[in-house]
Amino acid sequence: MTEHYVIIGNGVAGNEAACHLRQRDPESRITIITAGRLLFYSRYELPRLFHEDCDWRDFLVNPVEYYVENRINVRRNSFVTHVDAQRKSINLAHKESISYSQLLVASGGATNLPAELSDFAPLLNRFNLYTAACQVRDILPKKGKVVMLGGDVLGLDLARNLINEGYQVILVATEQTFWPHRVDPDERKLLLGALTDMGVEVIENAKIETIQEGAPGMSARHILFDDGCEIFADVVMPFFGLLPAADFMMGSGVDFERGLLVGTNLRTTDPSIWAAGDVCQIWSPEENQYRFYYGWQNVKKMGEIAARNMTGDDIHWETATDHKMYIDENRQIVSPYWEHD
Amino acid sequence: MIDSAMTETDIQLMFCGSAGDGTIAVGDIFKRAMAEAGFKVLAFDIYPPEIRGFGKCISRVRVTSRQAYSLKHQSDILVSLNDSYAIPHVSEVRDFGGVLYDQAPISAMAEGEHISGHLQPGQLPYGVSMREVSDQTTGGSKAKNIVALGFLAGLYDMQREPFHQIIRDKFKHKDPIISESNLLAFDTAYDEGVSTFRLDFIELGTPERQDIGSKVQMMTGNAAVVRGCLDAGLETFFGYPITPATSIMEDLATDLPMRGGRLLQTEDEISAIAATIGAGYAGARAATATSGPGLALMVEMLGLGVMAEVPSVIFCSQRGGPSTGMPTKTEQSDLHLAVFGGAGDAQRIVLAPTNVEGAYKCAGKAFEMAERYQTPVIVLLDLYLSNRYETVILPRQNPFEADSSKKRSHQERGVPYHRFSFTDDNVSPRTVPGEEGGIHTVTGLEHNELGRPNDQPDMHLKMSEKRHNKLLGALDHPGITIQKRFGDEGKVDVGILGWGSTFGEILEAMLVAQDEGISCSAMKVVMLSPLPLQPVQEFFSDCREILIPELNYEGQFANLVGSAISKPFTRLNRVPGVPMRVADILDEIRRLAAQVKSAA
Repeated sequence: MTEHYVIIGNGVAGNEAACHLRQRDPESRITIITAGRLLFYSRYELPRLFHEDCDWRDFLVNPVEYYVENRINVRRNSFVTHVDAQRKSINLAHKESISYSQLLVASGGATNLPAELSDFAPLLNRFNLYTAACQVRDILPKKGKVVMLGGDVLGLDLARNLINEGYQVILVATEQTFWPHRVDPDERKLLLGALTDMGVEVIENAKIETIQEGAPGMSARHILFDDGCEIFADVVMPFFGLLPAADFMMGSGVDFERGLLVGTNLRTTDPSIWAAGDVCQIWSPEENQYRFYYGWQNVKKMGEIAARNMTGDDIHWETATDHKMYIDENRQIVSPYWEHD
Repeated sequence: MIDSAMTETDIQLMFCGSAGDGTIAVGDIFKRAMAEAGFKVLAFDIYPPEIRGFGKCISRVRVTSRQAYSLKHQSDILVSLNDSYAIPHVSEVRDFGGVLYDQAPISAMAEGEHISGHLQPGQLPYGVSMREVSDQTTGGSKAKNIVALGFLAGLYDMQREPFHQIIRDKFKHKDPIISESNLLAFDTAYDEGVSTFRLDFIELGTPERQDIGSKVQMMTGNAAVVRGCLDAGLETFFGYPITPATSIMEDLATDLPMRGGRLLQTEDEISAIAATIGAGYAGARAATATSGPGLALMVEMLGLGVMAEVPSVIFCSQRGGPSTGMPTKTEQSDLHLAVFGGAGDAQRIVLAPTNVEGAYKCAGKAFEMAERYQTPVIVLLDLYLSNRYETVILPRQNPFEADSSKKRSHQERGVPYHRFSFTDDNVSPRTVPGEEGGIHTVTGLEHNELGRPNDQPDMHLKMSEKRHNKLLGALDHPGITIQKRFGDEGKVDVGILGWGSTFGEILEAMLVAQDEGISCSAMKVVMLSPLPLQPVQEFFSDCREILIPELNYEGQFANLVGSAISKPFTRLNRVPGVPMRVADILDEIRRLAAQVKSAA
């Protein structure tokens, strides 16, 4: 009987897995389910929107024909509401149920927003999706001012691009600054200094009291700190790292901590369900705990391992060395997580 | 509309649902709103033969800033009001086109039953809360179509007001609360559309300036026929309902009495043609409308009209045949019947308009010709032309003669009247009953100049020549296009000869072929009988290869042309029940062009 591999998630891990599944099982059915409306595109490339006349087609990792030729059905705009591990079926929000032979959960991470900022969510602009990035591009005036809260590696990547394009960037540093890099206090001081040298205005030890819409004719956003200081900005963006996006796995019977718990073979506690990418915590024998691994290369490797194991191999994730953020000879900060194919 | 004055607009939408979903209705609102905004609209609906509740309905609407000649093979947007019917049409949406669907249907469904699973990789999904919004705003799911329309209008930043006006107009005869709730459904969805990020690259530009001094209207081919009839001074209409001609009688039933005319629904088609010829004999401008099966019943009486030289106009909207055939599918397979049907050498005039504007002109000119040449005139439409909508520019001045009869001269009034006298132009002066000195005999028998029965060989020959030759004058009848050539002039590699509604597809294919560098021309032939042989022969001489596409199995027009011209040509015959694909014609043009090149 033809296997039906279902992959929840249309990012690096999911698409890498689909590619290997097709190679290893040419007769199988492969379905990628994603809440997004676009095919797999490179989110790392999104800052190009600020200096190129481009659209989502320019960010596609694979051409449209690739999916036809490889018979990979990408079900977009589809929201998974529940996974029934016993029946091996997935329920979608539009009330369709899909059965699977084996399931790979690679739904990635959602933008983390600290609880104290949740009230201001409607006034914050994300940069996690193409549509969100376009909105920022469209509302940000030339040489406008951007306030970044937190400052994870995705935010810092955007910051350096914005600076290069003549925008003003103010970073309100928090403990999530440089996430997911683990940075000690001395390193942090050096890195923040380098950011300042790059043109980023850094604000430390500041607690946000409120964020408001700006008055008509003024900047669009007004941030007030608890010490009475205030900033006017055109856009305020949160960059506090990612949280696993797998709420639909609740009640599936699969073990879940902060992310889906998988062994080094990336199999969950259900024999037909696997996980890869930012959504999963992999068992680390060295550290004797489950932990996350980030970055294009790590996630891509996970996709391959999951696919190979789903099709009969027994390959194990080898603990990767933590990547360090550093300052290059031009006083520019560099994160290995910015590297991608 | 959005501000992009320099953008050329050319988008095609396809609404697809089941009978009862309001598919045709929503397509109608959309196209009217677009026409109201000043765009050119070309639209065609497909619906099932069943009255309600079963079968697939599709409304395709092409919106352009400049005149389009046919529907496009691929649509830019598909709106699904019923996934099971819409799924087979997903492949008709182009890459980077959009598919709108209900993202929260009411009941659970098995894998594959929702349209989102059938989108091709290049297509863009737009999930819309159709049922939910309909429920919230109208208390039921019947307004799903209006919700889809509102979303669409918001998504593409169209002005609300034309839609509001048309929705109000549509429900004006119902409880005002229905109109208001539908407007609320529209507006709620409109806001959802506005806030949805548009990923496709479809732009609505600015419509082209309309010709000053003309009236721009959107209408179907049948509505254009009605308009042509009224402008030409139709006085009496007799008909029996039959798809796809029925709407001609329906509209006339309202409009004709308001102009002092009379309409009678007869017991069958035989009565309808008999009454039409009778009214024509009495001097009234008279017409009937039918489809192939009805025309088959009428041909006996048509022979009487030819023999007695009585003016009459018959509109025949073709559908799939033979017999009852495919009542709601289009075809061009009544040409033989229209041109040759009947006993004996029963020559008549047959006109076949190629578009809605042509339907208006042919309808009006048919009365002039019927009177001028004293003969039945058949106007051959088809379901595709009868039902398709186009924005047309109608002249502000009525272009039709009120009376085209050849009457007795003053001198002739003083001498004994010969109803069928031989004249230079083979047309005899005509009188109507009651006219002083105009008494004459009329019969279906062969006759002499007085109209009295006469079956002598010489008389039969002379009368046959008279009946035949008088029609040749119609080839020079003023104010109507008998045939017309388009595209490259002079010698060309490929010529496409066409007739009827398929000519739109032919023109589209020719334009694409020209863009590809193929030397080609297209000629439309509006008058099928008598055939304008000389220009057609000249066209054949100019073209190295000739292609004749038509929607029938036998190649009826090709047979007609082939019987008069010996040069070989290529036939392209299709009987899918739907308009011919531009791509099919284009493929043949390319093949023939390659053939010419390789021969050279």
